[in-house]
Amino acid sequence: MDTLLTADIAANAPRYRRKSSTFIDGIHDVPDANRAPAQLYSTMSGRLFHSGRIAIVMVGLPARGKTLGVKTRIFHLGDYRRATVGQGNDVPEDYFYPDASPASVVLRQKILKKCREDIYAWLNHENGQVAIYDAVNPTATGRRALAKEFAKHDVQTLFLESYVDDENILRENARNVKISSPDFFDMDPDEAAKLYLRRMGTKIPTFETMDEKELNYIKMINAGQKFFYNNVSFNYLSHRIVFYLTNTHIKSRATYFVRAGAAQGEESYKADAPLSEEGIRYSQLMAESLLKHREKEHAALVARGSDPAPMRQLTVWCSTRVRTLQTADAFKDRGFKVRQRTQMSQINPGVCERLSERAIRRLYPEEISKHELDPYHHRYPRAESYHDLAVRLEPIILELEREQNDLVIIAHESVLRVLYAYLMHCSTMDIPKLTFPRNEIIEIIPAAYQNEAKRIHIPGLDPNTVPGSPEDIRIPVPESSGADTPNALPEPALSPPIDLKISSFDKPPEKVVNTAAEAVRDKIADED
Amino acid sequence: MAPKTNGRGVQVEDTKICVVMVGLPARGKSYIAQRAQRYLTWLSIPSKTFNVGNYRRHDAPQPSADFFDNSNAEGERRRRAAAEAAFADMLGWFRQGGVIGILDATNSTKERRKWVMDLCTREGIEVLFVESKCDNEELIMANIRDVKTTSPDYQGQDPEAAALDFRNRIKHYEKVYKTIDEDGDESHYTYLKMMDVGSQVIINRIQDYLQSRVVYYLMNLHIRPRSVWLSRHGESMYNLSGRIGGDTDLSPRGQQYARRLPELVRQSVGDDRPLTVWTSTLKRTIATAHYLPANYNQLQWKALDELDAGVCDGMTYQEIKDVYPEDFVARDEDKYNYRYRGGESYRDVVIRLEPIIMELERSEDILIVTHQAILRCIYAYFMKKDQSRSPWMNVPLHCLIKLTPRAYGTDEERYQADIPAVSTWRGKGSTAKHEDPIPEASMSR
Repeated sequence: MDTLLTADIAANAPRYRRKSSTFIDGIHDVPDANRAPAQLYSTMSGRLFHSGRIAIVMVGLPARGKTLGVKTRIFHLGDYRRATVGQGNDVPEDYFYPDASPASVVLRQKILKKCREDIYAWLNHENGQVAIYDAVNPTATGRRALAKEFAKHDVQTLFLESYVDDENILRENARNVKISSPDFFDMDPDEAAKLYLRRMGTKIPTFETMDEKELNYIKMINAGQKFFYNNVSFNYLSHRIVFYLTNTHIKSRATYFVRAGAAQGEESYKADAPLSEEGIRYSQLMAESLLKHREKEHAALVARGSDPAPMRQLTVWCSTRVRTLQTADAFKDRGFKVRQRTQMSQINPGVCERLSERAIRRLYPEEISKHELDPYHHRYPRAESYHDLAVRLEPIILELEREQNDLVIIAHESVLRVLYAYLMHCSTMDIPKLTFPRNEIIEIIPAAYQNEAKRIHIPGLDPNTVPGSPEDIRIPVPESSGADTPNALPEPALSPPIDLKISSFDKPPEKVVNTAAEAVRDKIADED
Repeated sequence: MAPKTNGRGVQVEDTKICVVMVGLPARGKSYIAQRAQRYLTWLSIPSKTFNVGNYRRHDAPQPSADFFDNSNAEGERRRRAAAEAAFADMLGWFRQGGVIGILDATNSTKERRKWVMDLCTREGIEVLFVESKCDNEELIMANIRDVKTTSPDYQGQDPEAAALDFRNRIKHYEKVYKTIDEDGDESHYTYLKMMDVGSQVIINRIQDYLQSRVVYYLMNLHIRPRSVWLSRHGESMYNLSGRIGGDTDLSPRGQQYARRLPELVRQSVGDDRPLTVWTSTLKRTIATAHYLPANYNQLQWKALDELDAGVCDGMTYQEIKDVYPEDFVARDEDKYNYRYRGGESYRDVVIRLEPIIMELERSEDILIVTHQAILRCIYAYFMKKDQSRSPWMNVPLHCLIKLTPRAYGTDEERYQADIPAVSTWRGKGSTAKHEDPIPEASMSR
């Protein structure tokens, strides 16, 4: 049983784990974080106890999904096959055929078994919640058997099929995939598309679209134009999956992130102070820079003659905090519509806001250690964690996906962190550390497989107002010797020294190439 | 031509949607319409239901089944007139700022749907068809039983004769009924089709956020019997001293309530089935749920935390009046919209509770242990309470409320723990630490 042994080793080797590993959202492989920013609630194990374990089984389409917010891992059957057969070796000629030779059938079953065993092991022993089983699963009989087998292991199955009968979309798809597949390198696009479709036809000659009344399935028809749900009312997670599928239609439009101007007096959550003079100046400069940038970009497009369409409308969202409202006035005065969103208020710092780090250490020693363990989920007394903030922002995220105008989001740094992390798929663990200096406007341009962030400089700002205002409560650093004297009186509120080194700004990633594109390419090269 | 979606040039807040119900009689259309309206109204989205049946009754109060026969020219004419009158009123309402109008009628033919579609498009109103298709005999019978006892069409008639007539009426509709896109020529419509109470659902061409919100809400509705239990936390130390907000422990009497709660819940549930418990993240609700049985799953929601009083957190009303006199007055003038400095308003709380309501609709038996303002908002959702009054409702401590949603409204039962507690109710203008609620403030009625 050499092949199986090889499969074992290979499938567990880092090279393969790169593809079949823990994804925060079904797309992005972020090994050190397993939860996406927006999620309603979770337990310590990372699993929603009332939702059970779910296997999402892809039917016909490659695995790509959107944020589910729970521990998710994709299992590509193709990886297992390659690992078993070995690099550079071909699978038997009849491997994909329904009437394969006994040897091929044995090989196929061996590969399937290994993949499924890994799924059970991960769900049962590694607190996995959603396993995405990525294979073609073309026949009704096969799918019924699969659901039965998963049920035996106490795993619910949700099938996901992408069904296309629109000729235009079919042709477009075929043309697109050929570009990414090395098999069609250097070929005429139309020729490649034809060849690809023919190949699909021979490899999966018996594809049956889903019509199994007793199974839970979602059929996405013609790229999201229509959805068909069968029996999916069974639990919370399925509903989230359904909702995300239905609601993620990122239009090609720009989202701009800007900070609110600096406020008068000391920073305080409760005081909710109005803008300082410098803050007002900032709001004007920022609005000017942004509008100028838009005009320049549009003029460049017109000059290239590629897009004669008029500039998209610009909508402004801000929170209900005084500072962001007043910052938004710079747009309002120029005739733009401003919408206030109460969910976009900054993170609530709770009782520790006005305490010095030393005082926090003295008053809440156990909170400090909890915070150090998990700065994303930990919540100081009466404060919000970043996780709480992400949950609060979830409706905003969904509305963001639906918005069709260009959008300026004026918000506190904590809010920008979470929204940015969602759009750019950053790890939750990095969220508290992202910084957004005030002298930069961030422009995010969504695309199918690649979101891009551009930074637009705002000239002429007072350098003192550029770095972040003190964000939530101070994140404790290792104690310096003798810093903490017992019985000392509570510390007065200190405004923190600004000792940020501009060069060491922990900038968020500017370009994220989704591994989904890779998955598609991989998928095309050899169907399972 | 008027724009159809909130695409280029049209702002979200200018969106107007006509939700057009589709389906045979006794398929729960009015129920769906009524729930959608309650939800939207609670969210302050101006919405109104226009029931064509009500318009028809002006003209034909108690028609027999053959009135609904398509070959009955006179019946057909009058029914069309009723639809036109309802639609005209809806248009007038849209012009006065309406956002989501619900046209509650069978709209069971392609011609009728096209008629609505064309009129709305001309007015720049988006159309969302919502169809309830159901072949489950048992469910239809239950609906028919409901209709014959509650519909004004059959008031004072023999129930058996009424049921028979209603069945005949449905048969007339069945003759001409076409489910949406049955012939494949309505695929350009935006629609939600729910079959056999959600066992199958089709969503087609959802255009924008508001539509998706309505659709998601309707998809979460279910008709399995269940109840929602609501309780405030036990009396807290701040309750005793008349202070608002904070994160204090329970008073000794509050502790007593926490110990009493499991028994109270069991008495109200009636059997041993476990509930799921939702608390806030504050000590007093968690402590109140502490003694509930171990097989009750417990979840903490940040969204269930008490209304944030901002700078006034931890103050008594007298202190607030002394330190922020204008705020004190402003709050009493418009308690729903007043936002504490650096804190929240009731309106803000409703927005933050929206995901909770969505989750509640989807769930089955849930016990919520939370705070006064939060409870007022959740209660207002279920009992359709007016925004101007819900912030003033009396929600006594140490009392368990059981709400059971029914087809047309919500039943309420109360279970008193008989453990004394201070009153935290406050009348307009008052700064008393504790005062007895006036009868109008009681929640029911």
